[in-house]
Amino acid sequence: MNLEALNINVRFGDTHVLKDVSHTFKEGKITIILGPNGCGKTTLIKSVVKMFAKKCGMSYIPQEIYGNIGLTVSDLVALGRYNEKKFFNSENEEDLKKIDEALELMELKDKKDQLYDTLSGGEKQRCMAARAICQDAEWFIMDEPASNLDIVHSKFILDTARDLVKNQGKSFIIVMHDLNAASTYGDEFVLMKDGRITDVCDRLSPDKLADVFETKFGSVKTPSGKDVFYAD
Amino acid sequence: MLSHMREHKSSSDRFVIKFTIAAIMLICVMAVSCCLGSSDITLSDVIKYFTGRGDELAKTTLTIIGRIRVPRTLTAMLIGGALASVGCVMQGVFRNPMADPSVLGISSGAALGAAIAIVTGLNGVIFFEAFTGAYIGAVLGAIVTWLLVFTIAAQNGRYDTSSTLLAGIAISSIMSALITVLMTLHLEQMERVYMWMLGTFSASTTDKTKLLAVVVGLMMPILIWIAPRIDVLKLGKEAAMTLGVDQTKTLAIALAVSSCLLAFSVANAGIIGFVGLIIPHIVSFFGVTRMRSRLVLSFMTGAIFMVVCDTVCKTIVAPGELAIGAVTSLIGAPYFLFLLMSSRIRSGRERSSV
Repeated sequence: MNLEALNINVRFGDTHVLKDVSHTFKEGKITIILGPNGCGKTTLIKSVVKMFAKKCGMSYIPQEIYGNIGLTVSDLVALGRYNEKKFFNSENEEDLKKIDEALELMELKDKKDQLYDTLSGGEKQRCMAARAICQDAEWFIMDEPASNLDIVHSKFILDTARDLVKNQGKSFIIVMHDLNAASTYGDEFVLMKDGRITDVCDRLSPDKLADVFETKFGSVKTPSGKDVFYAD
Repeated sequence: MLSHMREHKSSSDRFVIKFTIAAIMLICVMAVSCCLGSSDITLSDVIKYFTGRGDELAKTTLTIIGRIRVPRTLTAMLIGGALASVGCVMQGVFRNPMADPSVLGISSGAALGAAIAIVTGLNGVIFFEAFTGAYIGAVLGAIVTWLLVFTIAAQNGRYDTSSTLLAGIAISSIMSALITVLMTLHLEQMERVYMWMLGTFSASTTDKTKLLAVVVGLMMPILIWIAPRIDVLKLGKEAAMTLGVDQTKTLAIALAVSSCLLAFSVANAGIIGFVGLIIPHIVSFFGVTRMRSRLVLSFMTGAIFMVVCDTVCKTIVAPGELAIGAVTSLIGAPYFLFLLMSSRIRSGRERSSV
C-alpha cells in the first residue's frame, strides 16, 4: 500500500511548521527526506505515523528516547513484539526467535542483559533498530537512524534496509543528513525547506541540493561511478 | 530454538521464585506484627485465631487481635503495597528514578483535599460505614496535583528529571502550607488534620480496612493490566502508536488509578513519605526490569516494608507510638539524598541504579 499523505498542516503555537504538505510515499522503496535543520522533516514523518499507524503495519524509530528507561536491551527489543491483545505479555516461541534474530543482526547479543541507559549512543541506535526489525512491520519510518553510528555500522544499517526492501518487500522512509549515504541508498528523495516539499526526485544533483540548503554544492565521480557531493 | 525457550523459562521461573519468597516473608512479618504491641499476645494465640480455634482464647485477647491488631496490620500491608506501586508507576511514567508521590507533592495534594472536606463539614459518611467525604476530597486533590505536576514539568513532551522534581517540590510546599493555613483557621479540627502531616495506622478500624481492601483489590489489577503499556510508552509517543498503545489514554488510566490508590492511602493513614521511592529501587536491585513484574514485586516489598516499619512504630516507644511517616522518612530520606548525590543517577550509566 502506498502512503498517500495529503494536505498536512502542523502548527506549534504561532509557527507554521508544515505548510500544506502532500506526498505519496511509494511501497517497496527507500524514500529519503533531506533538508536543513528545522525544516519540518521530523514533524512530517511523525504526522505520517499518526495518519497511518492504525491502517498498516509500521515501526517508528525516533531520533532519541528520553529519560531513565530502566529496561534491559532484550526487554526493549522485546517491546517490538508487544501485542495489546495478549494479556500475558510473555513472548511465545516465534517472538523469542524474532527477538533473538534481531539482537544477533544488530550485534547486541552479548549486551542483551545490560540496561539500555548504560549503552553508548551508537549501541542505543542499534538497539532501537533491532526493536523495529523484530516488530516485523511493512513500513519502517526512521528519524536519523545512523546519526550516532560509526561509518561501518551506519553502512550496515542502510545495507540491512536495502536487503529488507529487496528480499522482503519492506518500505522505508528515512530522515538523514549524510547526503552521500542518501544518494547511495535512496530510491526517491524528498527535499524540504521551510515546512514545504520543494522537490521530489530519484537522483540528487548539486543544483537541487544548492537550492534546498542555500549553499553551493559540487560533485565528483568516484572510480565506481558514484556521485560524491560536497558543500563548496 | 531450545535455547530461547530455556532462557525464557528461567526468567519467568525467577519471577515466581521471587514472588514466593516475598509472599512467605510478608506472611511472617504480618504474623509477628500481630503479636507485638502494647499488650502481650503470643504467636500461638495469633495462629489459633487464624486457624479457627479463636474460642480457646480469652475474650480480651480475641478483641485485641480481631479489632486492633489484624485491621492495623492489614492496613499497613495494603497501604505499603499501594504506595510502592504508585511510586513504581510514577517512576515509569515520568522516566525518572526519583519520582515518588510524596516527593512530587501528590500526597500533600490528597491530604489537602481530605482536609478541605473535613473542615468544610463535607465529611459525612456516604456509604459502607467508612466511606466519607474525605476520600472524595483526597481523590480530587491527588488528581489535580498530578495534572499540575504533569503540565508544569512537561517540556515538548519530555519530563526532564530536575524540572519534574523542582515542580514537585514547589507544589508540595504550597499544598503543605495550605494545610497549615486550614489548620490555623479551624483550630478545633487541628488534631484530626495534623494527623495527615505525620501519618499513622493507629486509627485503623475493621470497616476502614475493608474499604481499603476493596479499593486496592479493584485498582491493583488495572495497574497490572496496563503496566506493559507504560514500558511501551518509553519508546516515545509515535513508536508507541505503531504498537497500538495510545499515550494519552494510557496516561489517563495510570493517573486516575494511581491517584485513587494514593488518595485512599493518604485519607486512611496520612502522608507517608519515600516508600514509593525506595521500594522500586530495591526491586530493581534484584534484577526486575519489566513494569509488570516490577509492579507486583513492588507491591509485595512495599507491604513487607510498611508492616515492619509499623511494628517498629508501635514497639520502640511502647506504650507510646511513633508516627509512621517519621520512620519511613528516617529510612527513606537519607536514601533519597544518596540517590540525588550519586552521579550514577544523573548520567544513568550505572547498572545498579535503574
